[in-house]
Amino acid sequence: MLEVARLSKHFGGVRAVDELDFRVEAGEIFGLIGPNGSGKSTTVNMIAGIFAPTAGEIIFDGVDITEAPPHITLHAGIARTFQNIRLFNNMTVWENLWVAQNSAKQKRTGNPMARWMGGSRRAAAAVEEFLEFSNLAHKRDELAGNLAFGEQRRLEVARSLAAEPKFLLLDEPAAGMNLEEVKELDERLRVLRDRGVTILLVEHVMELVMEVTDRIAVLNFGRKIAEGTPSEVQQNQAVMDAYLGAGEGGSDA
Amino acid sequence: MDDFTWGMVQIVGVHTILGLSAYVILLTGQVSMAQAGFVAIGAYVAGMLTVLAEWHIIPAMVTGGLAASVLACIVGFPALRIRGLMLVVATIAFGEFVRLFWFNFDYRIAKGDIVVGPEGGEGFKQIRFFPENGWTTQDVAVFVWVVAAIILATLWWMDRSRAGKVLRAVGEDEMAAQSVGINLTVVKVAAFTAGGFIAGIAGAIYAHYTTHIEHLNFDILMATFAIAYPILGGLANVWGTLFAAFFIQVIVIEVLRDLGDVRNLMFGALIILVMNFLPHGLFSAKVVRKLKEWMGIGKMSDA
Amino acid sequence: MEFVDYLQAVTDGVMQGAYYALIGIGFTLIFGVMNKINLAYAAAAFGGAYASLGIAALIGSGDDFGLPPLLMFLASAVAAGLFAWIVYTICFRFTPDHYELATLMATVGAFFLIEEIAVHATDGEPMDFPEVLQGIIEDPMIEFSDAFAIRGDLLTIFLLALIAMAVLLLLLYRTKLGLATRAVAQQRTAAQLCGISVDRTNASTFIIAGVLGGLAGAMIGAAVGVLSPLLFVPLTVKGLIVTVIGGLGSIPGAIVAGLLVGGLENVFLALRGITERDMYVMLLLFLFLAFRPQGLFGKKVLRD
Repeated sequence: MLEVARLSKHFGGVRAVDELDFRVEAGEIFGLIGPNGSGKSTTVNMIAGIFAPTAGEIIFDGVDITEAPPHITLHAGIARTFQNIRLFNNMTVWENLWVAQNSAKQKRTGNPMARWMGGSRRAAAAVEEFLEFSNLAHKRDELAGNLAFGEQRRLEVARSLAAEPKFLLLDEPAAGMNLEEVKELDERLRVLRDRGVTILLVEHVMELVMEVTDRIAVLNFGRKIAEGTPSEVQQNQAVMDAYLGAGEGGSDA
Repeated sequence: MDDFTWGMVQIVGVHTILGLSAYVILLTGQVSMAQAGFVAIGAYVAGMLTVLAEWHIIPAMVTGGLAASVLACIVGFPALRIRGLMLVVATIAFGEFVRLFWFNFDYRIAKGDIVVGPEGGEGFKQIRFFPENGWTTQDVAVFVWVVAAIILATLWWMDRSRAGKVLRAVGEDEMAAQSVGINLTVVKVAAFTAGGFIAGIAGAIYAHYTTHIEHLNFDILMATFAIAYPILGGLANVWGTLFAAFFIQVIVIEVLRDLGDVRNLMFGALIILVMNFLPHGLFSAKVVRKLKEWMGIGKMSDA
Repeated sequence: MEFVDYLQAVTDGVMQGAYYALIGIGFTLIFGVMNKINLAYAAAAFGGAYASLGIAALIGSGDDFGLPPLLMFLASAVAAGLFAWIVYTICFRFTPDHYELATLMATVGAFFLIEEIAVHATDGEPMDFPEVLQGIIEDPMIEFSDAFAIRGDLLTIFLLALIAMAVLLLLLYRTKLGLATRAVAQQRTAAQLCGISVDRTNASTFIIAGVLGGLAGAMIGAAVGVLSPLLFVPLTVKGLIVTVIGGLGSIPGAIVAGLLVGGLENVFLALRGITERDMYVMLLLFLFLAFRPQGLFGKKVLRD
């Protein structure tokens, strides 16, 4: 479904991502892990269209999206969340979802009048569904900026789902969550996969990654050092070296 | 009411329209200090149409607005590449550029025994559509407010529709807005174009009720007024801009006139005070929510 | 125009560009440290020059100016430094850090406040500024030929500005205060962790920028011969243009851009006259924004 080939991103002399290859198959949850600064977020930002890659290509559903800006990748069917939550803080929960829902619908409904008139009623119904799914129905009129941290994470995931994507990029969705919340997230991700959404999960919380993913790629210094099922990766010597060796150093790129 | 009061009503109306022109652009998080330039374009174009081509005020006004919106659209595109403070500098320079253009613009033709038209630094005199057609000060004031009401209503409706949410989403967080599928180019250029159109309308009316315009009318002070109304009033809805235009033009400038000519002094001090104590303006999103809760009305999701 | 006339125009312009450079440095310093623009900056700088006139008037009597020329410059610099600190306190200190619109608007408010105080204090009349430079240089012209000469007063201004810039660079690169300023400009959080007070650094940056501005204000007064509130807006606009052309946050950029704008402006003046001159300066800015938005010495802007 998503194919990344020889993907590279250089910032000045720094090779944040270097000749990266991987494939995500339709219907799986694919994990992308690695120590801080290994290039995970840069990879996500390239797929989402925030950064233009220095070299390489990104193919989604047979379409080349290497140079596509973020709104085009979204319309192609890829939605995302951000490592440090980015909500529309002065808008309500409901408005956050509505604006995302409508933006996605807009592309598919060709007729502009239908979009304005009937479209918005159907969109409003869909927003209700996402409010329910993310357990935020009772907070619908709260400003997003006033939500608790866990609720903000849930809202951001819900907002990305509101675009009804085929593919979801989740950038450290479990960061800062307690164990119970991680469990909840785990369940939600499975539900989503069962509904046919393919997921690329970038994560530090190993309990989640090892539990929920089907396959994992491991990055270190911008290169892929291992790929396989969670159990294969856990036994990989290079992976253990990378994590032990790199330790706490550096900040994430 | 006497003519002075009706004149006041006109001024508040035009300044409200001026503030709304900046409001649309500010919603997308862009600060345009070029509004006075767009007003100047609307003023000169509409003035030339009624004086030189003898058009009616309404088509002249719309054409003035369109001319300003074309320029604003052209400004909107480079504005995509620069943001924040660079945009402030760029739009200040653009506004000054437009002002200097009219300073150097001389196009006069003979009309009977007088010569009319813009005359560079001397300005553009005798824009006499209203007196020539027998409109009283009161008629003009009503006309100004019909136009202002149409613009207020359109923007109020837009705010509650999807388009308003899209503008606000871009203003809140551009990257997040892109990630939910919003095309930044379209939204930002559209906001500039709409803002330019509204400013052009304000200029067209302004030119006709003062009957004499010159480049100095369209200086940085006017550009500042344009952004000051929505920023002081708050960006939660159009009423903040309306309120700020009324408050500054009527209370600060007119009622306190007896204190001596301290208008800009009061204006400056007021801006500093509000920004220190109410940085998001009088009617910010949070204040409006509190007000609505207090009155128990208007949940947005019922719309 | 012949070649020598262009040469004369450029030479005069570059020397006058020295005060654009000083104002540009002020904007850029504040931007570098706070990532915000202080639109009241040039107004505060002229406020300093006005204050120096006021002090001179208090000390002297009648036609006799109470202050020797160099002390006029000093008084202007000190007063402008004080005004800059006041602007910092009322516009930056208490406005929210992440919401630049509030700060920007507050500085516009401060601009009108200062401008209006100047108008009221002088009844809106231009004030004669003493031709202090006559006292410094006896012979105002250095003549090379009939067609080309260097004006002594402009040369003095130019040299004074160079000295001020050199002192500033020494301050930034050879003192603890400068180290703190540069640290805050580069990595604010890290600087805080190292025990640097961001608030104090911001305030001192404003004062340094203000002192430079006050010097520029007095220079302009001395060069033009009068001070008028009508100078506030054009100098603010020119200063901002210089800052952007030089690259936001770059001091060498502001210097080069100041001299460049000064030189070109004088050529535009010679070619097209005073009413069109500034239009071409704006066009120069638009060219930079279109083709080199990061300015002469600025860092390249990422897509983020």
